[in-house]
Amino acid sequence: MADTSPQPSRSRDLDKLLLRPGNLVGPRFEPGPETRDDLQAYARVLVVGAGGLGCELLKDLALTGFRNLDVIDMDRIEVTNLNRQFLFRLEDVGKPKAEVAAKRVMERISGVNIVPHFCRIEDKDISFYNDFNIIALGLDSIEARSYINGVACSFLEYDSYNNPREETIKPMVDGGTEGFKGHARVILPGITPCFECTIWLFPPQVKFPLCTLAETPRTAAHCIEYAHLIKWNEVHGGTAFDPDDPEHMKWVYNEALKRAELFGIPGVTYSLTQGVVKNIIPAIASTNAIISAACALETLKIATECSKTLSNYLSYNGTQGVHTKVTEFERDKDCLVCGPGVLIEVEPSVTLQKFIYLLEEHPKLWLSRASVSHQGKNLYLQAPTVLEEMTRSNLSQTLFNLMGKVTRDIVHVNGTATKNDQKISCMRKLLVVFKGTDGVADMDTAGGA
Amino acid sequence: MIKLFKVKEKQRELAENASGGAPIKKQTAGELRLHKDISELNLPKSCAMHFPNGKDDLMNFEVSIRPDEGYYMGGTFLFSFQVSPIYPHEAPKVKCKTKVYHPNIDLEGNVCLNILREDWKPVLNINTVIYGLYHLFTEPNYEDPLNHDAAAVLRENPKLFESNVRRAMAGGYVGQIFFPRCM
Amino acid sequence: MAEPKVKYDRQLRIWGEQGQAALEKSSICLLNSGPTGSETLKNLVLGGIGSITVVDGSKVEEGDLGNNFMVDESSIGQSKAKCVCSFLQELNDAVKAKFIEEYPEELIETNPSFFSQFTLVVATQLVEDSMIKLDRICREANVILIFARSYGLAGFVRISFKEHTVIESKPEHFLDDLRLNNPWPELKSLAEGIELNVQDPVAHKHIPYVIILVKVADEWAKSHGGALPSTREEKREFKELIKARMRGQDEDNYKEAIEASFKVFSPQGISSDLQQIVNDSSAEVDSNSSDFWVLVAALKEFIANEGGGETPLEGSIPDMTSSTEQYVNLQNIYQKKAEADIVAIERRVRSILKKIGRDSNSIPRTTIKSFCKNSRKLKICRFRLIEDEFNSPNLPELQKYLTDEDFSTAVGIYILLRAVDRFAANYNSFPGQYESAMEEDIPRLKSTASGLLNDLGCNGATLAEDLINEMCRFGAAELHAVAALVGGIASQEIIKLITRQFVPMSGTFIFNGIDHKSQLLSL
Repeated sequence: MADTSPQPSRSRDLDKLLLRPGNLVGPRFEPGPETRDDLQAYARVLVVGAGGLGCELLKDLALTGFRNLDVIDMDRIEVTNLNRQFLFRLEDVGKPKAEVAAKRVMERISGVNIVPHFCRIEDKDISFYNDFNIIALGLDSIEARSYINGVACSFLEYDSYNNPREETIKPMVDGGTEGFKGHARVILPGITPCFECTIWLFPPQVKFPLCTLAETPRTAAHCIEYAHLIKWNEVHGGTAFDPDDPEHMKWVYNEALKRAELFGIPGVTYSLTQGVVKNIIPAIASTNAIISAACALETLKIATECSKTLSNYLSYNGTQGVHTKVTEFERDKDCLVCGPGVLIEVEPSVTLQKFIYLLEEHPKLWLSRASVSHQGKNLYLQAPTVLEEMTRSNLSQTLFNLMGKVTRDIVHVNGTATKNDQKISCMRKLLVVFKGTDGVADMDTAGGA
Repeated sequence: MIKLFKVKEKQRELAENASGGAPIKKQTAGELRLHKDISELNLPKSCAMHFPNGKDDLMNFEVSIRPDEGYYMGGTFLFSFQVSPIYPHEAPKVKCKTKVYHPNIDLEGNVCLNILREDWKPVLNINTVIYGLYHLFTEPNYEDPLNHDAAAVLRENPKLFESNVRRAMAGGYVGQIFFPRCM
Repeated sequence: MAEPKVKYDRQLRIWGEQGQAALEKSSICLLNSGPTGSETLKNLVLGGIGSITVVDGSKVEEGDLGNNFMVDESSIGQSKAKCVCSFLQELNDAVKAKFIEEYPEELIETNPSFFSQFTLVVATQLVEDSMIKLDRICREANVILIFARSYGLAGFVRISFKEHTVIESKPEHFLDDLRLNNPWPELKSLAEGIELNVQDPVAHKHIPYVIILVKVADEWAKSHGGALPSTREEKREFKELIKARMRGQDEDNYKEAIEASFKVFSPQGISSDLQQIVNDSSAEVDSNSSDFWVLVAALKEFIANEGGGETPLEGSIPDMTSSTEQYVNLQNIYQKKAEADIVAIERRVRSILKKIGRDSNSIPRTTIKSFCKNSRKLKICRFRLIEDEFNSPNLPELQKYLTDEDFSTAVGIYILLRAVDRFAANYNSFPGQYESAMEEDIPRLKSTASGLLNDLGCNGATLAEDLINEMCRFGAAELHAVAALVGGIASQEIIKLITRQFVPMSGTFIFNGIDHKSQLLSL
């Protein structure tokens, strides 16, 4: 079919998308070789998690024009990973996932640089995360998603019109799977809902009543949870249960089995015991591939605007036929994590006491009896007494000093607001700017690069 | 976006030549919400709170309850609370640190309170949990037992139950089991 | 050694050991080992598929290194099939992997019998003409065929097979089989032996709701000439009757009874979906009938006779507030009835087998048991020959899609994916494949698409200009992320087809990588 064969290029297929103009693209798409070259040279993506999704993401991103990747994961490779985490082999069991994954992808794709981080996500300074242009999440826990989301949103700043300042937006793509089902989403903090805005999308884990476990067990899972949550402590007092210790797991299994026999309950197996105790979510290669690929594609679009984007949540369900659905979720206007916060300008000489008083008078707040916290430090708490006493001495100090003499920063307050003659308790995010310091001037240079 | 990346890459190089900023502790969504819960607490006099790690760690605290009526009047019962970073998506983990003869609390300190497990909802708060715990002492119930023996005695013989509770609280044996004094 | 069991733990939790065994017995043939095909196989090899055969006549070029993880710099100039095959083998040494260095199009022409040795053929990146030929071959040989194609930011997946029957369809939400609308004598007598007005409050709040509902329904029937509540008013009254028996707000068993009272009102007998299956002409069995249809024939007899209009009982009950003893007793009653129903079905199966001249023990008891347990959830999927769809698509559907906002992009992609093949047949290259021809390719593709729409009977229908432009921009590129996604979907469907669990897609899945508003089209 070929008549005029083009220059052999590794970017043969991707070039069609990046070099050619199109009509269904983002407003700032600039087709041309420079876009491709800049993508390779400047775009830095962090992949969080080197498991089922993370392995796929690294491969997909590396074959989608990204050359500067980092990957962070605290786990070591286990045998049960091998049915889907295709960068790992049996002889890798016990090695750090991040390191092996990075090495394998670099071995196969020349020119790609992947820096592994074998540690917990909390171990890194927040500034570490600010070095990346986009964060891709391949995680299986709500806690970790919530943490990264909080970090990414902490970089977000708004201008004086409450519009997010573009250079402070840290885009995230997030994937998740369970069996034949999964989701992929794009989070542009300040523009699309953040993880916390829609945390209700994750149903809370089912927990059995303890008295059912103790008195009226009916199912195999009840017997297992009895052995795990009640019997273990009764017998082992001091030793904490370790789900990764096979001896511990076997003990729970045997106890569960005994209890099931006692009550005539069928169905306790070793596999079910592990499933219940570790809350194992079934996972297969195909679903991880689908969801990661969708995330990688969106990462490319965020970076280059070479196509319209997913707005903003894709769900996939392959159990009964194939169902895909795109939902445009909305932001929570009052979200404490990604919201703009109310701007408050104060003199550096203002004491905390005076600041609390100012909140009562502030026309956007009318907040009385405020408690104040700053970056995890509790500056003042109205209750309970023990904490009030511990924080009372701060009242006479200046807020400027208490906040470590920064020119501007976020503080969180909660107290009682009056709305339509009704008193309601509320929690607010404030952006405190100290007058006469350079924090004010900074505010007015909106837009930026 | 890529143009932006280019600028940021330059900034980064500059920053690396300067010095790294001080690490900042990240406040989780759970901490923010807990801060609200705690500062709005409205506890009965019989309940007191302790923060063993100081004012900046609200995620781990203790509550002591001194019931002023019922079987357990005069005793002091200590509970530990562990709050998750995704609170209130997940209920706080509560354990009773005082060994107690109680139908709904076992000898390991597990507590059978519906709002701590199957009926937890994000609209509930620390105040509701503490009231729930307080309620367990004023109205222990034998219908949801965790300590089977105590429940049976409460049900069959409330008088005996009462004296068992007194004996345990004063520091002594009920059957084969020793209870340290908690009055 | 238990290692494979550990390795496959996370998937055994989905399809069990039977599903795994089916995978390990199957042999898959892949046509074309670009990223779409390689990624499809990767997901199957990791899961422990029995054997793979990679068919591809091309050599690895520089450009392949940019979209295919299974080749690397050392592969350049070598057989792509060989390189891909050897990487796949590295992933799982339990899989038998081989390759054939030959172009699929030629194999289809010269050696059609080649395909009959496989359980399933996955054909990637084929053009229309080859798809049609291969489809006929596989249909004739009764080999499952699945097409997958990635094209720029678009793609499709399509299954073709005469008939796929599923016993374990495993729907996520399916009403339990408690028969509260039609309790059998043993359940009734168990309920009769339980006193609702028991003094002991602990006992009162631990009577399972199934018992409460059977008793209250019985009471109702006695005072209503044997009928159960049917009007809205009666249903409300029935719930009030339950509520009146509650002693406190914290009686979870009564709350559950009120919530589940609709199970008493729901109509007796089988669903319309199941009715359709037992009425299918295939249920008139002969010596050529599959095991599935023999079982359906037995089911049909059962429903008409000892089943009294109902299917065999599923036999399992959901967890509910109850004392352990009463729950276990209840479970036993359900299990006993289910076992009796299995015996009845088995008797019918054996006699039908004998009647049609087969060994009466040729269907194992475990299969019959599983069939009974899942008899309310049976699924039959039949797929049109792709040639029939291409020549005479379901016209009303097609016209509906073309004007429906939710479907217009997807159906546009569908038409354009066909149009590019026509284009290629006429002009010897795909639209936009070469930079130099972009200008003239756009109007050419537009007129090819219009011509195709006319041929299909959609005279005057047009596609969005932007989409036509976009399709030319794609220039037949096979992007890795799109290939991984399309291949991922293909492999997931293959797993469902081979394990015969869950339900495969019907129709053509159109992947829309522009805004992810993908659709399943039934043409």
